[in-house]
Amino acid sequence: MLVDPNPTDPQSRGDQYSSSRRAFMKTTGLTALGALLGMAVPFERNLPAGIIPVALAQDTGMDLMSGKKGLVVLGDRPLNAEVPAHLLDDDITPYEHLFVRMNGLVPQTALDQNAENWTLTIDGEVENPLELTIDDLKSRFENVTSRLVIECGGNGRAFFQPGTSGNQWTVGAVGCPEWTGVRLSDVLKEAGLKKTAVYTGHYSNDVHLSGDEEKEVISRGAPIAKVMEGDTIIAWAMNGEPLSALHGFPLRVIVPGYPASASQKYLNRIWIRDKEHDGAKMTGDSYRLPAYPVAPGTEVPESDMVVLTNMPIKSIVTFPETGTEVKAREQVEVRGHAWCGKGNVATMHVSVDFGQTWQEATLEPAANRFAWQRWRANVTLPQHGYYEVWARATDGDGISQPPLSPVWNPRGYANNIQHRIALVATA
Amino acid sequence: MKHLFAMGTGAVAVLALGAGLALAAPEPDPMTALAGRPAGADPLDPMTALMARPEEGTGGEGNVELGGLPDGPGAEDTFYQCVACHSTEIIKQQRVTDHRWDELWTWMVEKQGMAEPDEETKKVILTYLKTNFSSER
Repeated sequence: MLVDPNPTDPQSRGDQYSSSRRAFMKTTGLTALGALLGMAVPFERNLPAGIIPVALAQDTGMDLMSGKKGLVVLGDRPLNAEVPAHLLDDDITPYEHLFVRMNGLVPQTALDQNAENWTLTIDGEVENPLELTIDDLKSRFENVTSRLVIECGGNGRAFFQPGTSGNQWTVGAVGCPEWTGVRLSDVLKEAGLKKTAVYTGHYSNDVHLSGDEEKEVISRGAPIAKVMEGDTIIAWAMNGEPLSALHGFPLRVIVPGYPASASQKYLNRIWIRDKEHDGAKMTGDSYRLPAYPVAPGTEVPESDMVVLTNMPIKSIVTFPETGTEVKAREQVEVRGHAWCGKGNVATMHVSVDFGQTWQEATLEPAANRFAWQRWRANVTLPQHGYYEVWARATDGDGISQPPLSPVWNPRGYANNIQHRIALVATA
Repeated sequence: MKHLFAMGTGAVAVLALGAGLALAAPEPDPMTALAGRPAGADPLDPMTALMARPEEGTGGEGNVELGGLPDGPGAEDTFYQCVACHSTEIIKQQRVTDHRWDELWTWMVEKQGMAEPDEETKKVILTYLKTNFSSER
Protein backbone atom coordinates (compact mmCIF):
# COMPACT_ATOMS: atom_id res chain seq x y z
CA MET A 1 0.00 0.00 0.00
CA LEU A 2 1.09 3.53 -0.68
CA VAL A 3 0.06 6.59 1.19
CA ASP A 4 -1.73 8.92 -1.15
CA PRO A 5 -0.07 12.31 -0.91
CA ASN A 6 -3.22 13.96 -2.19
CA PRO A 7 -6.18 12.10 -0.72
CA THR A 8 -8.74 14.81 -1.39
CA ASP A 9 -8.45 14.65 -5.17
CA PRO A 10 -9.41 11.22 -6.42
CA GLN A 11 -9.14 12.27 -10.07
CA SER A 12 -5.45 12.92 -9.75
CA ARG A 13 -4.66 9.52 -8.33
CA GLY A 14 -4.97 7.56 -11.50
CA ASP A 15 -2.94 9.92 -13.63
CA GLN A 16 -0.18 10.23 -11.14
CA TYR A 17 0.25 6.57 -10.40
CA SER A 18 -0.47 5.05 -13.76
CA SER A 19 2.02 7.29 -15.51
CA SER A 20 4.69 6.16 -13.12
CA ARG A 21 3.86 2.51 -13.65
CA ARG A 22 6.46 1.73 -16.28
CA ALA A 23 9.28 3.23 -14.25
CA PHE A 24 8.03 1.43 -11.16
CA MET A 25 8.09 -1.90 -12.93
CA LYS A 26 11.62 -1.41 -14.14
CA THR A 27 12.88 -1.02 -10.61
CA THR A 28 10.78 -3.67 -8.90
CA GLY A 29 10.81 -7.41 -9.33
CA LEU A 30 7.62 -8.54 -11.05
CA THR A 31 6.89 -11.11 -8.40
CA ALA A 32 7.29 -8.64 -5.58
CA LEU A 33 5.07 -6.17 -7.37
CA GLY A 34 2.40 -8.76 -7.96
CA ALA A 35 2.62 -9.94 -4.40
CA LEU A 36 2.08 -6.44 -3.16
CA LEU A 37 -0.95 -6.09 -5.40
CA GLY A 38 -2.43 -9.40 -4.49
CA MET A 39 -2.66 -8.24 -0.96
CA ALA A 40 -3.60 -4.68 -1.65
CA VAL A 41 -6.37 -4.60 -4.19
CA PRO A 42 -9.78 -4.51 -2.58
CA PHE A 43 -13.06 -5.32 -4.31
CA GLU A 44 -14.88 -2.11 -3.71
CA ARG A 45 -13.81 1.41 -4.25
CA ASN A 46 -14.26 2.14 -0.58
CA LEU A 47 -10.67 2.59 0.36
CA PRO A 48 -9.88 4.46 3.54
CA ALA A 49 -8.93 8.06 2.78
CA GLY A 50 -5.26 8.51 2.20
CA ILE A 51 -4.55 4.90 1.34
CA ILE A 52 -4.52 3.57 -2.21
CA PRO A 53 -3.27 0.40 -3.77
CA VAL A 54 -0.07 0.53 -5.79
CA ALA A 55 0.14 1.86 -9.31
CA LEU A 56 -0.90 -1.20 -11.26
CA ALA A 57 -4.31 -1.26 -9.67
CA GLN A 58 -5.30 1.60 -11.93
CA ASP A 59 -4.38 -0.32 -15.04
CA THR A 60 -6.56 -3.29 -14.16
CA GLY A 61 -9.54 -0.97 -14.63
CA MET A 62 -10.74 -1.64 -11.09
CA ASP A 63 -11.14 2.07 -10.35
CA LEU A 64 -13.52 2.31 -13.30
CA MET A 65 -15.91 -0.08 -11.59
CA SER A 66 -17.29 2.93 -9.75
CA GLY A 67 -19.16 3.65 -12.99
CA LYS A 68 -20.79 0.22 -12.95
CA LYS A 69 -23.84 -0.61 -10.84
CA GLY A 70 -24.60 -3.89 -9.11
CA LEU A 71 -22.04 -6.03 -10.95
CA VAL A 72 -20.48 -9.08 -9.31
CA VAL A 73 -16.69 -8.90 -9.54
CA LEU A 74 -15.25 -12.34 -10.26
CA GLY A 75 -11.65 -11.16 -10.28
CA ASP A 76 -9.76 -7.90 -9.95
CA ARG A 77 -6.63 -8.72 -11.98
CA PRO A 78 -7.55 -9.32 -14.69
CA LEU A 79 -10.81 -7.47 -14.09
CA ASN A 80 -13.89 -9.57 -14.76
CA ALA A 81 -17.40 -8.77 -13.59
CA GLU A 82 -20.84 -10.07 -14.45
CA VAL A 83 -24.35 -8.71 -14.13
CA PRO A 84 -27.19 -10.23 -12.10
CA ALA A 85 -29.98 -11.23 -14.50
CA HIS A 86 -32.54 -8.77 -13.10
CA LEU A 87 -30.23 -5.86 -13.97
CA LEU A 88 -30.29 -6.84 -17.64
CA ASP A 89 -33.94 -5.90 -18.16
CA ASP A 90 -33.29 -2.94 -20.49
CA ASP A 91 -33.79 -3.46 -24.21
CA ILE A 92 -30.54 -1.57 -24.76
CA THR A 93 -28.00 -2.47 -22.10
CA PRO A 94 -26.71 0.72 -20.48
CA TYR A 95 -23.02 1.16 -19.68
CA GLU A 96 -23.48 0.61 -15.97
CA HIS A 97 -25.03 -2.81 -16.57
CA LEU A 98 -22.65 -4.20 -19.18
CA PHE A 99 -20.35 -7.01 -18.05
CA VAL A 100 -16.58 -6.54 -18.03
CA ARG A 101 -14.23 -9.14 -19.47
CA MET A 102 -10.56 -8.20 -19.49
CA ASN A 103 -7.85 -10.59 -20.62
CA GLY A 104 -5.07 -8.18 -19.74
CA LEU A 105 -4.66 -4.68 -18.40
CA VAL A 106 -6.41 -1.55 -19.66
CA PRO A 107 -4.03 0.32 -22.00
CA GLN A 108 -2.97 3.82 -21.03
CA THR A 109 -4.50 5.30 -24.20
CA ALA A 110 -7.91 4.02 -23.10
CA LEU A 111 -7.49 5.23 -19.53
CA ASP A 112 -6.60 8.66 -20.85
CA GLN A 113 -9.30 8.54 -23.58
CA ASN A 114 -6.53 9.63 -25.90
CA ALA A 115 -6.99 8.57 -29.52
CA GLU A 116 -4.50 11.03 -30.95
CA ASN A 117 -2.64 9.50 -33.91
CA TRP A 118 -4.61 6.25 -33.55
CA THR A 119 -4.63 4.24 -36.75
CA LEU A 120 -6.20 1.00 -37.86
CA THR A 121 -4.07 -1.09 -40.17
CA ILE A 122 -5.65 -3.53 -42.61
CA ASP A 123 -3.01 -5.77 -44.13
CA GLY A 124 -2.20 -9.33 -45.09
CA GLU A 125 -4.15 -10.96 -47.90
CA VAL A 126 -5.43 -7.68 -49.41
CA GLU A 127 -4.65 -5.87 -52.65
CA ASN A 128 -4.35 -2.43 -51.03
CA PRO A 129 -3.24 -2.41 -47.41
CA LEU A 130 -4.91 0.45 -45.52
CA GLU A 131 -3.90 2.63 -42.66
CA LEU A 132 -7.00 4.45 -41.48
CA THR A 133 -7.46 7.15 -38.89
CA ILE A 134 -10.68 7.24 -36.92
CA ASP A 135 -11.75 10.22 -39.04
CA ASP A 136 -11.06 8.17 -42.18
CA LEU A 137 -13.35 5.44 -40.88
CA LYS A 138 -16.10 7.91 -40.03
CA SER A 139 -15.92 9.79 -43.33
CA ARG A 140 -15.07 7.18 -45.95
CA PHE A 141 -17.55 4.44 -45.05
CA GLU A 142 -21.26 4.33 -44.34
CA ASN A 143 -21.89 4.74 -40.63
CA VAL A 144 -24.19 2.17 -39.08
CA THR A 145 -25.86 1.92 -35.69
CA SER A 146 -27.27 -1.35 -34.44
CA ARG A 147 -28.05 -3.27 -31.28
CA LEU A 148 -25.75 -6.26 -31.14
CA VAL A 149 -25.51 -8.88 -28.42
CA ILE A 150 -22.07 -9.56 -27.04
CA GLU A 151 -21.72 -12.64 -24.88
CA CYS A 152 -18.59 -14.09 -23.34
CA GLY A 153 -17.89 -17.60 -24.69
CA GLY A 154 -17.63 -18.77 -21.08
CA ASN A 155 -20.99 -17.38 -19.96
CA GLY A 156 -22.63 -20.25 -18.01
CA ARG A 157 -19.31 -21.95 -17.22
CA ALA A 158 -20.27 -22.15 -13.54
CA PHE A 159 -22.91 -24.77 -14.35
CA PHE A 160 -20.58 -27.39 -15.80
CA GLN A 161 -19.76 -30.32 -13.57
CA PRO A 162 -17.00 -31.22 -12.99
CA GLY A 163 -15.81 -27.63 -12.97
CA THR A 164 -13.94 -26.22 -15.94
CA SER A 165 -11.14 -23.70 -15.73
CA GLY A 166 -11.66 -19.99 -16.13
CA ASN A 167 -13.90 -17.32 -14.69
CA GLN A 168 -17.01 -18.90 -13.26
CA TRP A 169 -19.59 -16.82 -15.11
CA THR A 170 -23.20 -17.68 -14.31
CA VAL A 171 -25.72 -15.95 -16.61
CA GLY A 172 -24.62 -12.32 -16.70
CA ALA A 173 -21.68 -12.15 -19.11
CA VAL A 174 -23.98 -10.86 -21.82
CA GLY A 175 -25.47 -7.58 -22.94
CA CYS A 176 -27.02 -5.83 -25.91
CA PRO A 177 -25.84 -2.25 -26.23
CA GLU A 178 -26.27 -0.11 -29.33
CA TRP A 179 -23.03 0.19 -31.28
CA THR A 180 -22.04 2.75 -33.92
CA GLY A 181 -19.33 2.19 -36.48
CA VAL A 182 -18.73 0.94 -39.99
CA ARG A 183 -19.18 -2.46 -41.57
CA LEU A 184 -15.98 -4.44 -41.61
CA SER A 185 -17.13 -5.80 -44.98
CA ASP A 186 -17.10 -2.25 -46.46
CA VAL A 187 -13.56 -1.68 -45.24
CA LEU A 188 -12.39 -5.02 -46.57
CA LYS A 189 -13.98 -4.29 -49.95
CA GLU A 190 -11.95 -1.10 -50.16
CA ALA A 191 -8.80 -3.00 -49.24
CA GLY A 192 -9.65 -5.61 -51.85
CA LEU A 193 -9.58 -9.16 -50.55
CA LYS A 194 -7.27 -11.55 -52.31
CA LYS A 195 -8.58 -14.99 -53.21
CA THR A 196 -6.28 -16.37 -50.53
CA ALA A 197 -8.08 -14.49 -47.73
CA VAL A 198 -9.80 -16.88 -45.32
CA TYR A 199 -9.71 -15.42 -41.80
CA THR A 200 -9.31 -12.18 -39.88
CA GLY A 201 -6.75 -11.69 -37.09
CA HIS A 202 -7.47 -8.86 -34.65
CA TYR A 203 -4.82 -6.91 -32.73
CA SER A 204 -4.87 -4.30 -29.99
CA ASN A 205 -2.65 -2.37 -27.64
CA ASP A 206 -3.73 -3.75 -24.28
CA VAL A 207 -1.05 -4.89 -21.87
CA HIS A 208 -0.29 -8.48 -20.91
CA LEU A 209 -0.82 -9.39 -17.25
CA SER A 210 2.86 -10.20 -16.95
CA GLY A 211 3.65 -6.59 -17.84
CA ASP A 212 5.62 -7.81 -20.88
CA GLU A 213 4.80 -5.18 -23.48
CA GLU A 214 5.85 -7.44 -26.34
CA LYS A 215 3.36 -10.11 -25.43
CA GLU A 216 -0.05 -10.40 -27.11
CA VAL A 217 -2.91 -10.40 -24.61
CA ILE A 218 -5.42 -11.89 -27.00
CA SER A 219 -5.70 -11.93 -30.77
CA ARG A 220 -8.68 -13.73 -32.19
CA GLY A 221 -10.60 -13.48 -35.43
CA ALA A 222 -13.41 -14.80 -37.61
CA PRO A 223 -13.80 -16.46 -40.99
CA ILE A 224 -13.91 -14.06 -43.95
CA ALA A 225 -17.31 -15.50 -44.95
CA LYS A 226 -18.71 -14.52 -41.52
CA VAL A 227 -17.42 -10.95 -41.52
CA MET A 228 -18.45 -10.37 -45.14
CA GLU A 229 -22.10 -10.99 -44.21
CA GLY A 230 -22.15 -7.34 -43.19
CA ASP A 231 -23.22 -7.60 -39.55
CA THR A 232 -19.68 -7.36 -38.19
CA ILE A 233 -18.66 -3.78 -37.47
CA ILE A 234 -15.73 -1.71 -36.36
CA ALA A 235 -17.28 0.42 -33.63
CA TRP A 236 -16.18 3.66 -32.01
CA ALA A 237 -19.31 4.36 -29.98
CA MET A 238 -21.60 2.51 -27.60
CA ASN A 239 -25.02 3.91 -26.75
CA GLY A 240 -24.10 7.17 -28.47
CA GLU A 241 -20.94 7.73 -26.43
CA PRO A 242 -17.31 7.13 -27.39
CA LEU A 243 -16.23 3.65 -26.30
CA SER A 244 -15.21 3.60 -22.65
CA ALA A 245 -11.87 2.45 -21.31
CA LEU A 246 -13.32 -0.87 -20.15
CA HIS A 247 -15.06 -1.62 -23.43
CA GLY A 248 -12.35 -0.89 -25.96
CA PHE A 249 -11.64 2.81 -26.52
CA PRO A 250 -11.12 4.02 -29.17
CA LEU A 251 -12.07 1.21 -31.60
CA ARG A 252 -13.29 -2.34 -31.33
CA VAL A 253 -14.70 -5.08 -33.47
CA ILE A 254 -18.16 -6.48 -32.84
CA VAL A 255 -18.63 -9.93 -34.40
CA PRO A 256 -22.25 -10.60 -33.47
CA GLY A 257 -23.18 -14.20 -32.77
CA TYR A 258 -19.62 -15.22 -31.99
CA PRO A 259 -18.06 -15.46 -28.53
CA ALA A 260 -17.21 -11.90 -27.53
CA SER A 261 -13.50 -12.70 -27.52
CA ALA A 262 -13.67 -12.32 -31.31
CA SER A 263 -14.87 -8.74 -30.73
CA GLN A 264 -11.40 -7.34 -30.05
CA LYS A 265 -11.18 -4.20 -27.92
CA TYR A 266 -8.53 -1.46 -28.35
CA LEU A 267 -8.33 -2.45 -32.02
CA ASN A 268 -5.36 -1.19 -34.07
CA ARG A 269 -4.86 -3.86 -36.73
CA ILE A 270 -6.77 -6.45 -38.70
CA TRP A 271 -4.46 -8.90 -40.37
CA ILE A 272 -6.16 -10.83 -43.17
CA ARG A 273 -4.89 -14.38 -42.99
CA ASP A 274 -4.57 -17.14 -45.59
CA LYS A 275 -5.46 -19.72 -42.94
CA GLU A 276 -7.38 -19.94 -39.66
CA HIS A 277 -5.87 -17.25 -37.45
CA ASP A 278 -3.42 -18.57 -34.85
CA GLY A 279 -3.02 -15.56 -32.55
CA ALA A 280 -3.15 -15.67 -28.75
CA LYS A 281 -6.16 -17.63 -27.50
CA MET A 282 -7.08 -18.94 -30.95
CA THR A 283 -5.17 -22.17 -30.38
CA GLY A 284 -4.87 -24.89 -27.74
CA ASP A 285 -8.05 -25.21 -25.69
CA SER A 286 -8.96 -21.52 -25.78
CA TYR A 287 -12.43 -20.82 -27.18
CA ARG A 288 -12.49 -24.33 -28.63
CA LEU A 289 -14.81 -27.31 -28.27
CA PRO A 290 -14.12 -31.00 -28.77
CA ALA A 291 -14.88 -32.08 -32.35
CA TYR A 292 -17.08 -34.85 -30.91
CA PRO A 293 -19.11 -35.13 -27.68
CA VAL A 294 -17.09 -36.25 -24.65
CA ALA A 295 -17.94 -37.57 -21.19
CA PRO A 296 -17.73 -35.02 -18.36
CA GLY A 297 -14.14 -34.58 -17.17
CA THR A 298 -12.49 -35.94 -20.32
CA GLU A 299 -9.22 -34.43 -21.44
CA VAL A 300 -9.26 -33.99 -25.19
CA PRO A 301 -6.14 -33.91 -27.41
CA GLU A 302 -5.50 -30.43 -28.82
CA SER A 303 -5.72 -31.80 -32.34
CA ASP A 304 -9.36 -32.75 -31.66
CA MET A 305 -10.40 -29.27 -30.52
CA VAL A 306 -12.18 -26.96 -32.97
CA VAL A 307 -12.86 -23.23 -32.83
CA LEU A 308 -16.15 -22.18 -31.25
CA THR A 309 -18.07 -20.09 -33.78
CA ASN A 310 -21.81 -19.41 -33.36
CA MET A 311 -23.01 -19.10 -29.77
CA PRO A 312 -26.05 -21.29 -29.05
CA ILE A 313 -29.71 -20.29 -28.65
CA LYS A 314 -30.22 -18.71 -25.22
CA SER A 315 -32.55 -16.64 -23.07
CA ILE A 316 -32.70 -15.09 -19.61
CA VAL A 317 -35.43 -14.01 -17.23
CA THR A 318 -34.80 -10.38 -16.35
CA PHE A 319 -38.04 -9.68 -14.49
CA PRO A 320 -38.97 -10.33 -11.76
CA GLU A 321 -35.78 -10.76 -9.73
CA THR A 322 -35.33 -14.29 -8.49
CA GLY A 323 -36.95 -14.83 -5.09
CA THR A 324 -39.66 -12.22 -5.59
CA GLU A 325 -42.92 -12.61 -3.68
CA VAL A 326 -46.09 -12.54 -5.80
CA LYS A 327 -49.80 -13.14 -5.26
CA ALA A 328 -51.19 -16.60 -5.92
CA ARG A 329 -54.06 -16.85 -8.45
CA GLU A 330 -53.21 -13.48 -10.00
CA GLN A 331 -51.51 -12.87 -13.34
CA VAL A 332 -47.86 -11.95 -13.10
CA GLU A 333 -45.79 -10.73 -16.01
CA VAL A 334 -42.50 -12.54 -16.46
CA ARG A 335 -40.13 -11.24 -19.12
CA GLY A 336 -36.61 -11.30 -20.48
CA HIS A 337 -34.57 -11.54 -23.66
CA ALA A 338 -33.73 -14.27 -26.15
CA TRP A 339 -30.86 -14.38 -28.65
CA CYS A 340 -29.03 -16.81 -30.87
CA GLY A 341 -25.59 -16.90 -32.49
CA LYS A 342 -27.24 -17.73 -35.79
CA GLY A 343 -29.60 -14.78 -35.41
CA ASN A 344 -32.73 -16.89 -35.75
CA VAL A 345 -34.68 -17.05 -32.49
CA ALA A 346 -38.01 -18.69 -33.35
CA THR A 347 -40.09 -19.25 -30.23
CA MET A 348 -39.98 -18.77 -26.48
CA HIS A 349 -41.60 -20.87 -23.75
CA VAL A 350 -41.79 -20.77 -19.96
CA SER A 351 -42.66 -23.39 -17.37
CA VAL A 352 -43.73 -22.84 -13.77
CA ASP A 353 -43.87 -26.56 -12.92
CA PHE A 354 -40.25 -27.67 -13.34
CA GLY A 355 -40.60 -28.32 -17.04
CA GLN A 356 -43.65 -30.58 -16.91
CA THR A 357 -45.79 -28.19 -18.95
CA TRP A 358 -44.75 -25.21 -21.05
CA GLN A 359 -46.61 -22.14 -22.17
CA GLU A 360 -45.63 -20.04 -25.15
CA ALA A 361 -44.41 -16.52 -24.49
CA THR A 362 -44.80 -13.62 -26.87
CA LEU A 363 -41.61 -12.84 -28.72
CA GLU A 364 -41.11 -9.30 -30.02
CA PRO A 365 -39.26 -8.80 -33.30
CA ALA A 366 -35.56 -7.95 -33.17
CA ALA A 367 -34.68 -4.26 -33.60
CA ASN A 368 -32.13 -5.54 -36.12
CA ARG A 369 -30.39 -8.82 -36.87
CA PHE A 370 -28.42 -10.05 -33.83
CA ALA A 371 -30.21 -7.77 -31.35
CA TRP A 372 -31.71 -9.70 -28.47
CA GLN A 373 -35.47 -10.03 -28.53
CA ARG A 374 -37.89 -9.17 -25.76
CA TRP A 375 -40.17 -11.98 -24.61
CA ARG A 376 -43.09 -11.74 -22.18
CA ALA A 377 -45.40 -14.24 -20.56
CA ASN A 378 -48.23 -13.90 -18.07
CA VAL A 379 -48.13 -16.68 -15.52
CA THR A 380 -50.66 -17.49 -12.82
CA LEU A 381 -49.47 -19.48 -9.84
CA PRO A 382 -52.33 -21.73 -8.63
CA GLN A 383 -51.79 -21.56 -4.88
CA HIS A 384 -49.34 -20.27 -2.31
CA GLY A 385 -45.90 -21.82 -2.23
CA TYR A 386 -42.56 -22.04 -4.02
CA TYR A 387 -42.34 -21.94 -7.81
CA GLU A 388 -39.60 -21.77 -10.36
CA VAL A 389 -39.91 -20.10 -13.73
CA TRP A 390 -37.85 -21.95 -16.34
CA ALA A 391 -37.20 -20.16 -19.63
CA ARG A 392 -36.54 -21.92 -22.93
CA ALA A 393 -35.87 -20.35 -26.31
CA THR A 394 -35.93 -22.33 -29.56
CA ASP A 395 -34.15 -21.37 -32.76
CA GLY A 396 -35.32 -21.62 -36.36
CA ASP A 397 -33.75 -25.05 -36.69
CA GLY A 398 -35.81 -26.43 -33.82
CA ILE A 399 -32.88 -26.44 -31.41
CA SER A 400 -33.79 -25.31 -27.90
CA GLN A 401 -32.08 -24.79 -24.56
CA PRO A 402 -31.50 -27.87 -22.38
CA PRO A 403 -32.72 -28.04 -18.74
CA LEU A 404 -29.23 -29.11 -17.65
CA SER A 405 -25.84 -28.12 -18.98
CA PRO A 406 -25.26 -29.22 -22.56
CA VAL A 407 -22.38 -31.49 -23.51
CA TRP A 408 -19.39 -30.93 -21.24
CA ASN A 409 -16.22 -29.45 -22.72
CA PRO A 410 -12.80 -28.94 -21.10
CA ARG A 411 -12.94 -25.15 -20.90
CA GLY A 412 -16.64 -24.75 -20.22
CA TYR A 413 -17.84 -22.79 -23.24
CA ALA A 414 -21.25 -22.25 -24.81
CA ASN A 415 -23.42 -23.31 -21.88
CA ASN A 416 -27.00 -22.43 -22.79
CA ILE A 417 -28.72 -24.17 -19.87
CA GLN A 418 -32.25 -22.87 -19.23
CA HIS A 419 -32.32 -19.93 -16.84
CA ARG A 420 -34.52 -20.42 -13.78
CA ILE A 421 -35.80 -17.96 -11.22
CA ALA A 422 -37.76 -18.57 -8.04
CA LEU A 423 -41.14 -17.00 -7.31
CA VAL A 424 -42.79 -17.23 -3.92
CA ALA A 425 -46.58 -17.03 -4.11
CA THR A 426 -48.53 -15.77 -1.13
CA ALA A 427 -52.17 -16.61 -0.47
CA MET B 1 -38.60 -9.24 -1.31
CA LYS B 2 -36.63 -12.21 -0.27
CA HIS B 3 -37.67 -12.66 3.36
CA LEU B 4 -39.65 -15.88 2.92
CA PHE B 5 -37.65 -19.08 2.96
CA ALA B 6 -34.61 -17.19 4.22
CA MET B 7 -33.26 -20.31 5.77
CA GLY B 8 -29.61 -20.77 6.64
CA THR B 9 -27.44 -21.02 3.58
CA GLY B 10 -24.67 -23.11 5.03
CA ALA B 11 -25.05 -25.58 2.20
CA VAL B 12 -21.47 -26.76 2.34
CA ALA B 13 -22.60 -30.06 0.87
CA VAL B 14 -22.49 -28.66 -2.66
CA LEU B 15 -18.80 -29.39 -3.06
CA ALA B 16 -19.16 -32.97 -1.87
CA LEU B 17 -21.17 -33.71 -4.99
CA GLY B 18 -18.02 -33.33 -7.06
CA ALA B 19 -16.58 -36.47 -5.51
CA GLY B 20 -19.45 -38.50 -6.91
CA LEU B 21 -18.72 -37.44 -10.47
CA ALA B 22 -16.54 -40.40 -11.15
CA LEU B 23 -13.96 -39.12 -13.57
CA ALA B 24 -12.97 -41.66 -16.13
CA ALA B 25 -15.20 -44.17 -14.39
CA PRO B 26 -15.28 -47.41 -16.33
CA GLU B 27 -19.05 -47.22 -16.69
CA PRO B 28 -20.15 -43.61 -16.68
CA ASP B 29 -23.65 -43.11 -15.33
CA PRO B 30 -25.09 -39.65 -15.90
CA MET B 31 -27.63 -40.17 -13.13
CA THR B 32 -24.85 -40.13 -10.54
CA ALA B 33 -24.36 -36.47 -11.32
CA LEU B 34 -27.96 -35.86 -10.29
CA ALA B 35 -27.99 -37.92 -7.11
CA GLY B 36 -28.35 -36.15 -3.80
CA ARG B 37 -28.36 -32.74 -5.40
CA PRO B 38 -28.46 -30.08 -2.71
CA ALA B 39 -30.78 -27.10 -2.71
CA GLY B 40 -27.99 -24.71 -3.61
CA ALA B 41 -26.34 -21.94 -1.68
CA ASP B 42 -29.38 -19.69 -2.09
CA PRO B 43 -32.77 -21.41 -2.00
CA LEU B 44 -34.26 -18.36 -3.66
CA ASP B 45 -31.93 -18.59 -6.64
CA PRO B 46 -32.46 -21.99 -8.29
CA MET B 47 -29.36 -21.51 -10.46
CA THR B 48 -27.13 -21.92 -7.40
CA ALA B 49 -28.16 -25.59 -7.17
CA LEU B 50 -26.76 -26.17 -10.65
CA MET B 51 -23.30 -24.79 -10.00
CA ALA B 52 -20.10 -26.76 -9.64
CA ARG B 53 -18.97 -24.93 -6.55
CA PRO B 54 -20.43 -23.40 -3.44
CA GLU B 55 -21.22 -19.71 -3.48
CA GLU B 56 -18.50 -17.41 -2.28
CA GLY B 57 -18.31 -17.20 1.46
CA THR B 58 -19.48 -20.67 2.38
CA GLY B 59 -16.00 -22.17 2.39
CA GLY B 60 -14.23 -19.92 4.88
CA GLU B 61 -12.31 -16.79 4.14
CA GLY B 62 -8.77 -18.12 3.75
CA ASN B 63 -5.67 -16.24 4.75
CA VAL B 64 -6.03 -12.52 4.03
CA GLU B 65 -2.24 -12.20 3.93
CA LEU B 66 -2.28 -14.62 0.99
CA GLY B 67 -5.10 -13.04 -0.97
CA GLY B 68 -7.64 -15.31 0.71
CA LEU B 69 -5.94 -18.59 -0.24
CA PRO B 70 -6.54 -21.23 2.43
CA ASP B 71 -3.54 -22.01 4.64
CA GLY B 72 -1.75 -25.27 4.03
CA PRO B 73 1.48 -26.72 2.65
CA GLY B 74 2.44 -24.69 -0.42
CA ALA B 75 0.04 -21.80 0.18
CA GLU B 76 2.81 -19.20 0.31
CA ASP B 77 4.71 -20.57 -2.69
CA THR B 78 1.46 -20.63 -4.65
CA PHE B 79 0.64 -17.07 -3.72
CA TYR B 80 3.97 -15.59 -4.77
CA GLN B 81 4.14 -17.65 -7.97
CA CYS B 82 0.66 -16.73 -9.17
CA VAL B 83 0.18 -13.10 -8.22
CA ALA B 84 3.10 -12.05 -10.37
CA CYS B 85 0.49 -12.04 -13.13
CA HIS B 86 -3.01 -12.32 -11.70
CA SER B 87 -4.82 -11.95 -8.41
CA THR B 88 -5.92 -14.90 -6.30
CA GLU B 89 -9.58 -14.42 -7.26
CA ILE B 90 -9.25 -16.51 -10.41
CA ILE B 91 -7.57 -19.31 -8.43
CA LYS B 92 -10.27 -19.39 -5.79
CA GLN B 93 -12.98 -19.82 -8.44
CA GLN B 94 -11.56 -23.08 -9.79
CA ARG B 95 -12.88 -26.60 -9.14
CA VAL B 96 -11.08 -28.60 -11.81
CA THR B 97 -9.43 -31.96 -12.38
CA ASP B 98 -5.79 -32.74 -11.55
CA HIS B 99 -5.09 -33.15 -15.22
CA ARG B 100 -6.54 -29.73 -15.95
CA TRP B 101 -4.19 -28.16 -13.35
CA ASP B 102 -1.22 -29.79 -15.12
CA GLU B 103 -2.50 -28.47 -18.46
CA LEU B 104 -3.01 -24.99 -17.04
CA TRP B 105 0.53 -24.98 -15.65
CA THR B 106 1.96 -25.87 -19.07
CA TRP B 107 -0.24 -23.26 -20.76
CA MET B 108 0.89 -20.55 -18.36
CA VAL B 109 4.55 -21.39 -18.90
CA GLU B 110 4.40 -21.87 -22.66
CA LYS B 111 1.80 -19.30 -23.70
CA GLN B 112 1.59 -16.76 -20.90
CA GLY B 113 5.25 -16.28 -20.08
CA MET B 114 5.13 -17.60 -16.52
CA ALA B 115 8.57 -18.03 -14.99
CA GLU B 116 8.84 -21.67 -13.99
CA PRO B 117 10.23 -22.32 -10.51
CA ASP B 118 12.46 -25.28 -9.62
CA GLU B 119 10.93 -28.78 -9.83
CA GLU B 120 10.39 -29.09 -6.09
CA THR B 121 8.49 -25.79 -5.84
CA LYS B 122 6.43 -26.67 -8.91
CA LYS B 123 5.42 -29.93 -7.25
CA VAL B 124 4.51 -28.19 -4.01
CA ILE B 125 2.37 -25.60 -5.82
CA LEU B 126 0.56 -28.10 -8.03
CA THR B 127 -0.16 -30.30 -5.03
CA TYR B 128 -1.56 -27.32 -3.19
CA LEU B 129 -3.78 -26.35 -6.13
CA LYS B 130 -5.00 -29.91 -6.67
CA THR B 131 -5.74 -30.26 -2.97
CA ASN B 132 -7.64 -27.04 -2.51
CA PHE B 133 -9.25 -26.25 -5.87
CA SER B 134 -10.30 -29.61 -7.18
CA SER B 135 -13.31 -31.25 -8.75
CA GLU B 136 -11.90 -34.59 -7.70
CA ARG B 137 -11.72 -34.29 -3.93
